[in-house]
Amino acid sequence: MVDALKEAHRILRPRGILIDARPDSRVFAYAERRNGTRYRQAGVIATTREELVNDRTSDRAVATAVREGWFRPLRAGRFWHRVIFEDRPTMQRYLDDHARFGHRVRWMVDPSTRRRWEADPWAIRRAVRHGLLERI
Amino acid sequence: MVTSTSAVGRLLPAISSLLRPPPEDELREYGGLGLVRRKRVIDIGCGDGRMALGCAPHASEVVGVDPDPEAIRLARRKARELGAGNAEFKVGVAQELPFADRHFDVAILSWTL
Repeated sequence: MVDALKEAHRILRPRGILIDARPDSRVFAYAERRNGTRYRQAGVIATTREELVNDRTSDRAVATAVREGWFRPLRAGRFWHRVIFEDRPTMQRYLDDHARFGHRVRWMVDPSTRRRWEADPWAIRRAVRHGLLERI
Repeated sequence: MVTSTSAVGRLLPAISSLLRPPPEDELREYGGLGLVRRKRVIDIGCGDGRMALGCAPHASEVVGVDPDPEAIRLARRKARELGAGNAEFKVGVAQELPFADRHFDVAILSWTL
C-alpha cells in the first residue's frame, strides 16, 4: 500500500490531489428494513477481523505517506451509503458472500418479527470515510 | 450526513459499481465537481470504471487502471456506450503505473487501499 501511495505521488503534479475513500470499519454497519419511504435499523453488522486488520494497514500506509513528506492532509470526512436489497434472504446471501462483513447480524428485533418482514425491502447502511491529501 | 443508495436484487450481478455509491454522490462528498473540472484525473483500482466515467464529463482527461482485465473490458465498453472520448482504461497495478512523472492533477483511490 505504501508502494501504491509512493507511485501516486510520482504521477501527481505538485499540489495535485489524492482522494482516498474506503469503508469506515471504525463504526458499525446496519441492517435496515424499509418501512414506507423510510428505512429503520433492525440489526448491527460488524466488520470481520481480517478486514479490520486490512483497514489498519491502509491507515498506517497513509500515515507513512504523510510522515515521509509525500502528501499533506487537506480534509477528511465520512458519509453513509445504503445498498438496497429486494428482501431479507437476498441481503443475507450478500452477507454470506461478502468478505468485509460478519455473516451474522446482531438483531434488534425478535425472530418472529424478522420472519414477518422477510419479503420487505432491506438495506445495509454503511459508513464511507474519505481523506483528501495534497501532493507535496 | 448524506446517505447515498445503490440497489442490488436477485437479477442483478453483484459487480462492484452496483454496490458502491453513484460517482456524483462520491464527488459531492469530496468537495464537488470543481475537484475534477478540466483536470487530468487517474482512477487507480478503477474496477468497471464507475468513478472514472463519473468524472469524464467534467475532466479534461481520465485514465482508469485496474489489474482485472475483465473489469477493464467492461469499463471500455461502458466508455464507448457513454461516448466518453476522453476516458482511457488500462490493465495495470497501482505500484507500477505506466505514466510520466507529475502527469495528473487528481488521483482517486476509491475503495482501493
